[in-house]
Amino acid sequence: MSLFLTQLMNGIGNGAVYASLALALVLIFRTTGILNFSQGEMALYSTYLVWYFSNRGLPVWVAILLSMTLSFIGGAAIERIVIRPVERASPLVLVIVTIGMFLAINSIVQVQFGADAKHLTRAYPAHVWRPGNVQISADTLVLVGILILECLFLYLLLQRTKLGLGVRAAASNPESSRLLGVPVGRTLMFGWGLAAALGALAGSLAIPASQPALSAASMQSILVFSFAAAALGGFDSTIGAVVGGMIVGVAQTLTTQYIKALSDIVLVVPFGLILVVLMVRPQGLFGSRHVERV
Amino acid sequence: MNHIPLERSAASRWLRALALCTVVAVLAVACGGSRKTSSNPGTTTAGGGGGTTAPVVNTANCPAGNDTVGVSGDTITIGTSLPESGLYQAFTAILKGEKSYFEYMNAQGGVTVAGKKYKINLVDKDDAYDAAKTVTNVNSLINDTKVFSLFNVVGTKNNLAVRDLVNSQCVPDLLIASGAVQWGNTKFPWMLGSELVPYPDEMQTLVDYLKTTKPNAKIAVLKANDDFGQSYADTLKALIVGTNLKIVQTQGYDPETSEVKAQVTSLAATKADVFVLGGTLLACPNALNAMGDAGWKPIVYMSGTCVSKVLLGIAGKNANGIFSVTPLIDPSAPANDSNPAVATYKAQVKKYAKDADVSDGIVAYGWTTAALFAKILESSPKLTRSAVMETARTLTGVKGVGLQLPQSTWTTSAKDWFIGETFQLIKYDATAGHSVNVGPITDDNGKTAAISPKILLTQ
Amino acid sequence: MRSRRQLQVLALATAVVVLAFLIVLPHQYGSTNTTRWAQALYIGVAAMGLNLLTGYNGQVSIGHGAFFGLGAYTSALLVNQHGWQFLPTLLVAGPLCFLVGVAVGFPALRVKGLYLALVTLGLAVLFPDLTKHYVHVTGGTNLVAMTGSELAPPAWVPTSVSAIGRDDQWAYYVTLAIAIGLFLAAMFIIRSRFGRALIAVRDHEAAAATVGINTSFVKVSAFAISALYAGLAGSCSVLVDHLANADKVQTFQISIEFLVAVVIGGTATVVGPLVGGWLVVFLQHWISDSLPKHVGSISVLKRTLANPAASPAIFGIILILFVFVLPDGLVGGVRRLVSRIGRGDVNDIQPSTTPLTT
Repeated sequence: MSLFLTQLMNGIGNGAVYASLALALVLIFRTTGILNFSQGEMALYSTYLVWYFSNRGLPVWVAILLSMTLSFIGGAAIERIVIRPVERASPLVLVIVTIGMFLAINSIVQVQFGADAKHLTRAYPAHVWRPGNVQISADTLVLVGILILECLFLYLLLQRTKLGLGVRAAASNPESSRLLGVPVGRTLMFGWGLAAALGALAGSLAIPASQPALSAASMQSILVFSFAAAALGGFDSTIGAVVGGMIVGVAQTLTTQYIKALSDIVLVVPFGLILVVLMVRPQGLFGSRHVERV
Repeated sequence: MNHIPLERSAASRWLRALALCTVVAVLAVACGGSRKTSSNPGTTTAGGGGGTTAPVVNTANCPAGNDTVGVSGDTITIGTSLPESGLYQAFTAILKGEKSYFEYMNAQGGVTVAGKKYKINLVDKDDAYDAAKTVTNVNSLINDTKVFSLFNVVGTKNNLAVRDLVNSQCVPDLLIASGAVQWGNTKFPWMLGSELVPYPDEMQTLVDYLKTTKPNAKIAVLKANDDFGQSYADTLKALIVGTNLKIVQTQGYDPETSEVKAQVTSLAATKADVFVLGGTLLACPNALNAMGDAGWKPIVYMSGTCVSKVLLGIAGKNANGIFSVTPLIDPSAPANDSNPAVATYKAQVKKYAKDADVSDGIVAYGWTTAALFAKILESSPKLTRSAVMETARTLTGVKGVGLQLPQSTWTTSAKDWFIGETFQLIKYDATAGHSVNVGPITDDNGKTAAISPKILLTQ
Repeated sequence: MRSRRQLQVLALATAVVVLAFLIVLPHQYGSTNTTRWAQALYIGVAAMGLNLLTGYNGQVSIGHGAFFGLGAYTSALLVNQHGWQFLPTLLVAGPLCFLVGVAVGFPALRVKGLYLALVTLGLAVLFPDLTKHYVHVTGGTNLVAMTGSELAPPAWVPTSVSAIGRDDQWAYYVTLAIAIGLFLAAMFIIRSRFGRALIAVRDHEAAAATVGINTSFVKVSAFAISALYAGLAGSCSVLVDHLANADKVQTFQISIEFLVAVVIGGTATVVGPLVGGWLVVFLQHWISDSLPKHVGSISVLKRTLANPAASPAIFGIILILFVFVLPDGLVGGVRRLVSRIGRGDVNDIQPSTTPLTT
């Protein structure tokens, strides 16, 4: 039993990592309708910034705040410079643009910071509690805690502020929003900036918690599972991203522990799950349905 | 759903189109017959190697006139392929060590082969660790660059992918950067692994150590889900037959993600006495940290591929007291700075590769492998591909190359296809930040093939 | 002012010139360059198939590397483990990928847009694990390395096509033949009633259904055909590269390359993906091999542009700039130019602008 609970906690820890990046994906999707393939690499760059600042003597949490600020500016700049010129192009063109950024940022990270793995310290003391032989790490608690705060923040921002209303309006119908006086351009920049800042937070907490070191490969497997989490939960749902992340994370660890036959093809489980869920609910568990009319 | 089906005519029309596309193939079946252009000239001489005259490398079927390709004037051009971009770009550090050594040698006039001095020109190509790109690179190195030999091409699958090519063209694929045992496959004599310790030898050393210190140990194994992980798991399983050692659980992980936490949690629950870590790169510190989190304190044996300042530094105190092996002098231990070989290495790499980290073992590996290559050239009676390959296959008691351990000798023969069979068992001291030697040097000369998983040696 | 007829003649003449060039090409180039052209062709073939699915039918896949791999492994294993000749393996690889395409296409009926893209991504990351689980060939790994003699041309092939020691020519011509065959097939498909159904379903599925198109049949068929194209491209890659191999990074990367080839060549144009395949292969080659020679002696440029680690960054940035300038791809751009010179009466199919989320 304690082994089951420990694996469950491991799964929740992984799930929190996937969910935190999935939140950024969902935010971009809700504001601009884009599936951002470069979200993981943007977060990777931000996390390297945290390493860079903390390596130069700043306390880690100061480095994280600094990186989040810079990432906000960088994200907004990416929207203005890279996305805006093609916002009316076909969705495929946007996919190619974010793939181009994916390739570019990953390689820029290696050129700028070097290829060897970096040691990134946690912003909080590492600790493991073992009540009744169940392992609960500070990492899992911090990640889940931050995730809950992020959800609350996004909920309040999107549902309870004028800015959030603008974001939602600009996303669903930019033309009418513009007529109604919503600064659509600035709102979209805000959406990208916010997603980049959330990604920075996700990366700088998730990498020291889930991986021993920061490397150019750090984000790629996380990104795949974050995509899976977002698809499972519904691409336009904040809570869906969190639940999706948890399901994917827990499914992985429990498969490893209990299904020997799948030990070298563990990925079958999360992706099989997604397929089944999407067959029943094509919009994901919490996604909203689009009705098509003739 | 009550849609009307797409009209049959349209549906059958694209089926016809489909049929059209395969016409080419049908024709071929009808005609049959194959023009066999090349048989494999690489096979070793029958009964191989008993006498002193019979060469290990049979050149009977080699293409004519290509034995001296790659030598022009006083320059020998050699080629390598390795990941210089992408996620495995960290391997570029090897190249820095290699280039530093060759530049250092060239500055002194070069290597002396059969009484004449030659400079070495190393051409590197990037394959991003993709075996298909390695094939393209090696083809280009052989056909366009016209290299004399391949040198220290990185990766097991990357070298397996060019196995037929180098053996049918009789181009030496020397000092492959992989400790895999596949280079012991006697059907392919034109390839030879480097001084890296063959993975099964590590398990032999561990079993020998446990037999004397903890003969009734229960062992838990973490392995990469590939031939590399299999080398450890299968060898260990075979070696403990007839002992009181027992494997209680084996867990695999995906070497492309290095996610091992759930696996280590599961292994820790067995409370085994020994933890064998048959993984590499970031999976190693990842597993050690997960072990620490679980409060599990077994005797740990970790793959020699993980012995690096960076990886062990990441694991910190969780790496304290773990065992592994190394074929080289540790450049990160301050005590070794007084060693003249280490001093030369550090001074020259600092001179020729300013951005390289001289205390990083992977740079030292590149330096040493380059030195071994130079040593092979200098020992060769003639500067031909076949003579150099024959020399590499019949090394006797090579000592003092690069950062080779002082007591170690490197030997190959018709019956012994592995160089890195002498090495040192080490124990990591996390407080000091480097490892210390445990016991005398291990000499497994000629034993590797016997303890390797058969499928890896023969397939 | 040119008439439509003149344009058609011009197009035909261009096609003849290009074909003549492609046929004499291996006799002008060495094996390295010939092989690179063959690689461009097989990427182009897979991209042509993906274009039928994504460009014409509006279903996005970022997992066709899995079908490519399936085709490659089928051919490689039949030759290496069962002693087949190469060409007959195409008869197995193509239909097998087609059938698997049908199997994957059925769930795709329910799953749409972005969600479909992510399910196919799952395919691309899962496939390498499956090969590692089931395939233990060269050196006991999931790599299937081929020998030169296994892939040697059959005896009836004249030596003018494949000189001794130039098996790259044989590989090139087989790939070229398949590319031409599948190109004609794609043209045929697009001009058929089925082709119009593909577009109708993309542009308005519900409306297409009301005019009597069996939308399920159309969508599943599109998936299966694109899988067949990718599978045959994979088979060709065995002949060209002498191996079948699958790792997550590579399978994902090649899936992305197919999509990139479609978009920068020209979405929903028949010839676009072939041009795109050429661009993808030769751009990357140019960045890693030629660019470093042209950066001169300015040390900052040398440090960044000539650094192999920066090649993906340069490729990524070129991609972005490319779609800025030519959002409808090279062929789309040329077509716009031609229609501006002519009277703008090029009424071919335009790329989709329907959002991915519907």
